[in-house]
Amino acid sequence: MKFRNIKIAAVSRLSLVLLVVILTACLPGPVSQPGNRNITVYAFSIMKEALERDIYPSFAAKWKREHGEEVTFSSSYAGSETVTNQIIQGAPADIAILSIEMDVKRMVAAGHVKEDWRAAPQLGIINKTAFVILVRPGNPHGIKDFRDLAKPGIKLIHPDPVSSGGAQWSILSIYGAELIRSESETGEADSEKAVETLRAIWANVISTPGSAREARTQFETGYGDALITYELEGILMKQAGTPVEMIVPPATIMSEHPAVVIERGLTPSKREVAYAFRNYLWSEEAQKAFVRGNFRSVTSETLNRSNPALAEIEQPFDIRYFGGWERAYHDVIERIFGGKVKSSR
Amino acid sequence: MKADTTNIAVSVEGVSKSFGSTKVLSDINFDVHEGEILVFLGASGSGKTTILRIISGLETPDSGRVIFHSRDVTGLPARERGTGVIFQSYALFPKMSVEKNIAYGLKLRRRPKKDVNQRVDELIGLVHLEDHRKKFPSQLSGGQQQRVAIARALAYEPEVLLFDEPFGALDAQIRTRLRHEIRLLLKKIKVPSIFITHDQEEALELGDRVAVLNAGQIEQIGTPYEVYMKPDTEFVATFLGAANVLSGVYKNGRFETGASAIELEEPISLDEGSRAKLVVRPEDVFLRRPENLQQHYQKLADGTIEEVSFVGAFERLLVNLNIGNGVTMVVTRPKTETAAFPFQGGESVSAGIVRFRVIPAESRMGGRENVDIVSVS
Amino acid sequence: MSANLSSVRHTRGYDIVKPLSITALLIFMLPLVLLPLSSIFIFGFSSGLQSFWAALTTPDAIFALKLSFVTSFWATVFNLVFGLFAAYVLARYSFWGRNAIIVLISIPTAIPTAVAGFALLLLWGPYGLLGRFLPADTQIMFTPYAIILANIFVTFPLAFGVIMPVLETMNRSLEEASATMGATRWQTFWHVTLPSLRGAIVGGALLTFARSVGEFGSTILVSGNLSGMTQTAPLYIFAKFNEGQVEAANAVAVVLAVFSFVIFSILFFARDWLETE
Repeated sequence: MKFRNIKIAAVSRLSLVLLVVILTACLPGPVSQPGNRNITVYAFSIMKEALERDIYPSFAAKWKREHGEEVTFSSSYAGSETVTNQIIQGAPADIAILSIEMDVKRMVAAGHVKEDWRAAPQLGIINKTAFVILVRPGNPHGIKDFRDLAKPGIKLIHPDPVSSGGAQWSILSIYGAELIRSESETGEADSEKAVETLRAIWANVISTPGSAREARTQFETGYGDALITYELEGILMKQAGTPVEMIVPPATIMSEHPAVVIERGLTPSKREVAYAFRNYLWSEEAQKAFVRGNFRSVTSETLNRSNPALAEIEQPFDIRYFGGWERAYHDVIERIFGGKVKSSR
Repeated sequence: MKADTTNIAVSVEGVSKSFGSTKVLSDINFDVHEGEILVFLGASGSGKTTILRIISGLETPDSGRVIFHSRDVTGLPARERGTGVIFQSYALFPKMSVEKNIAYGLKLRRRPKKDVNQRVDELIGLVHLEDHRKKFPSQLSGGQQQRVAIARALAYEPEVLLFDEPFGALDAQIRTRLRHEIRLLLKKIKVPSIFITHDQEEALELGDRVAVLNAGQIEQIGTPYEVYMKPDTEFVATFLGAANVLSGVYKNGRFETGASAIELEEPISLDEGSRAKLVVRPEDVFLRRPENLQQHYQKLADGTIEEVSFVGAFERLLVNLNIGNGVTMVVTRPKTETAAFPFQGGESVSAGIVRFRVIPAESRMGGRENVDIVSVS
Repeated sequence: MSANLSSVRHTRGYDIVKPLSITALLIFMLPLVLLPLSSIFIFGFSSGLQSFWAALTTPDAIFALKLSFVTSFWATVFNLVFGLFAAYVLARYSFWGRNAIIVLISIPTAIPTAVAGFALLLLWGPYGLLGRFLPADTQIMFTPYAIILANIFVTFPLAFGVIMPVLETMNRSLEEASATMGATRWQTFWHVTLPSLRGAIVGGALLTFARSVGEFGSTILVSGNLSGMTQTAPLYIFAKFNEGQVEAANAVAVVLAVFSFVIFSILFFARDWLETE
C-alpha cells in the first residue's frame, strides 16, 4: 500500500482486521476438550448403541464415583478391518473393539497391542452374538437355513470380507453349519459339499457393503431378498419397526469380539483409565448392558436368558470348531473362500 | 519544418537489441527535439515496437544509450523514466473510471489530493471528456478511449510521449480525423512525441520528421518531403509510395544504363564507375511521341506502350523501354496530360523524367541487382 | 395467409422450439438432479420441522458443520493465495518445465479422493515417510489439520484453474502501462492486476470452498472420523446413514444442499456484478 489515498487504505485495513477476527473465531475446537481422561474408542460398526447408550455413561459415572474425575469418550465406527487399518496407519485410538481376532493379531504384529492381550479375562473376548438371516416379511423365498440362500434367483446382501469382520464370521457360519449338517446326516463332515453350498450362496450375492452396518442400511432401503448379519442387528431392526423377519439357522456360529488397549502413545495417566475401562467391560454391570443391547454375555449364560429377544439356537458353534482363528482364517477364509469360492465367480 | 538542433529532448545512441539469435535492432541513432513529432515507419518485424519499448524502459538494449534531456536513463526501469506511453489497445484500466485512470500516475507520485483533482480537471478539459469523466473505459468509443490514454499519459508531465500504432484499432474514417486532432493537440502542448506506424500516409501526415526502419536499421531520417522526394535507399523509395528503379553505372557525373545517360542535377558521393540505381516515381515520368520530347525533360529512353488503364483520377501505363533487353516501367499521368497526349497500346514513345534520384547500388536490399525495375506501391 | 402464419411463429415469442427445448431440459434434469435433491428435503422434513431442527442442533451435527466450514475456509484461503501466485508465475514467465508444472497442479482433479487421503497418510501418518519424524504430540493426521491438508490437495487446481486463463488472456499492456506511469511491481499487481482478477478470485474461492465442504473420500481416511472431534459434515452424514439414522443424516444434508445452492447463486449473480462493475 503506497497510496496515500485514505479511503483505499482504510478499507483494506478494515477488511484485514475483519479477516483476522473471522479466522480466530473460526479455529476448530472439539466439542468435548480431550484431556488426559478422554478415551478414544475405535469399534466395529454394531458396537455403537451398546457403548453410547449404556457402557460409556455407566463407566463415566463409576470413574467419577471412585476417582472424582470426569471421563469423556470419543468414538469412531467402521468395519472391523477398516478400524484396524486406520489404527495401523496411526489413528489415535486408545481402545479398539473388533469383530475378529485376526485384526488384533495384525495390530500385535504392528506393535500397537501387547502380545499377551489374551491374558485379559475371557481370553480378551468381551461379548458375542449369533449369526442369523434377515428376510422380507412373510419369508417369500421360504428360507430356513443358510443352504436355502443357495437357491437360484435369491438376491443376497453380504458385507465385504475384505473390510468387514462380520462378513468373515458369516462365511465361517455358512461353511461350519454345512459341515455340521453333513456330519449329523452321514457321520462325516463333507467339506466338498460345504464348499459347493458356499459357492452357490456367493453366486447370489448382489452387493458387498463395507461393514455389517452398511449392509443393514442397504437392506433397509429395500434392496435384496436376504441379509446375513449379527443377531443383534436383526433385533435392532425389528425393534425399530423395520418390516423384516429373522431366520435363525439350526446351526450357526457365535461371533466373539475382542477388546484391546492400543499401547502406542499411551501416557501413564491414560493407560490407567484405558485399562480400567477395558477391565470394566467384563464387569457384571457391563455384561448386563451388553445383554440389554442384544449382545450375548461371555461371563454368564444366565444373563442371556434375561433378554427374551435373544433366540434359542439348536446347534451353536464357535471358532474353536475350526481349531481357532488362525486355522479358520487360513483354511476357510483364505484357502476355501478366497481360493475356491470368490475366484470362481 | 526543421527542428532546433540545440534543443534535444531524447537521444538514442548506438542501440542494438537481439532476442535470442534474432537481431532486432542494430546501431540505432536518432534525436527527438523539443516539441517535435518523430514517426518511425516500418513494416511489422522491422523493430519499431522494440525501439519504443527500449525508450520507455520496458525493454533493455544490449548496447547503446537512451538519454532524456542529457540524463542517461539506460539503466532505469520503466517506472523511473516517466515516459507517457499510448498503447495500441490504449491499455486503460478497466476497473477505473476515466478520472481515476487519469489520476493514477499522479497518485503514484503522491501528489496532494487537491493538485490531483485540479490537474485531472485540466486534462479532461484539454481532451474534451467533460461529459464522460465518471464513465468506465468499456463505455467509451475508440476515439474517446484514445483521448483518455493521452490525458492519462500527460498527467504526470512526461519527458516524451510514445505512441504505439495508436490508430491501428480504429476504422479508416475516424483515423484520418483523429490524426489531425492529435497533431493539433501535440503542437499545442509541445511535448516531444515518437509515433510508430506501418502506414506511410500516417507517417507523412503526422511527423515533423519520419524515420524509415528496415530490418532493425534506420534507412533514412528526414522531413516527410525529404524521405519521399529524396530517398537515400531503394527501400525508402519503394516503401514510401511507388517507384521505378533502374540499375546502371555512375560515370562522368552521369547515370548510365544501356544507351541512356542521365545528367545528375545534384552532386553525389559515388566513385567513378561504381554501380548505381536510378529511382523515378511513376508520376515524374513524361511520355511524348519520340519527336516531341521537350528540352526540360531529360530523356531516359524510347519505348513502346504495353498497356493503358484508367485508375480513377489518373491513368496508369506500362511502358517497355529499349534499355538492354527491354525493361518495363510504370507511369502515371493526370487527366491534363492524358487529354493533351493520348496514347494507345503499341504506340512508340519517348520517356522523359523531371525528378529523379540516383543512389548507390550497394544497398542492403542485396540480390536485387539483376532486377532492372522494381515497382512497389 | 399461410406466409403470415409461419412468420408469426417466429415472432412475439411464438417460436415453438423455445418452450419445447426448455421443457426438454427440465425433463432431463428432473430424474438426474432435481428429484434426488428434493428427496433429501422430503426426507429431511418428513417428521416435521421440529425433529429436523432437533436433528440439526445435536452437538455432533453442529460440530460437524462447523468443522467442515472452518477446514474448508482455511483450505480455500491457502489454495486461493497459492492459485493466484502460481497463476501469476505461470502466466507471466515462460520457462523450461512450465507445462509440466501446469499438469502437476491439475493432477488432483483426476485422482480419486480416497487416493489423495491415502497418499497423505503414507506421507504424514505416524508411520509415514515424513510423519515418523514428527513428535507424537504434533502429529498432523487424524486432526482437523489433516482435514485441511486433504481439502487443499483435493481442491488444489480449482482456484488456479479459474484464475490462470483470466490472467493469461489479460492484456499485458495494462501492467506495462502501469509500470511506465511509475508504479512498482507490487502497486501494479494491487491496483491493476488484482482488480481485473476480482471475478476470477471470488469464483475460484467459492468453487474451492464448495468443493471442500462436500469432500468425503479423502477426509474419511485422514480425519479419524471421531464424532465431535474430527468428523466433518459429509462424514457425519455417512455415519448417520450407516447407523440407520436417516433423519439425522438428511438434516445435515439439507444444510449442505442449501449451502451449495447459495454458493452457486452468489457465483452466478456476483460474476456479472464483478465483471461489469
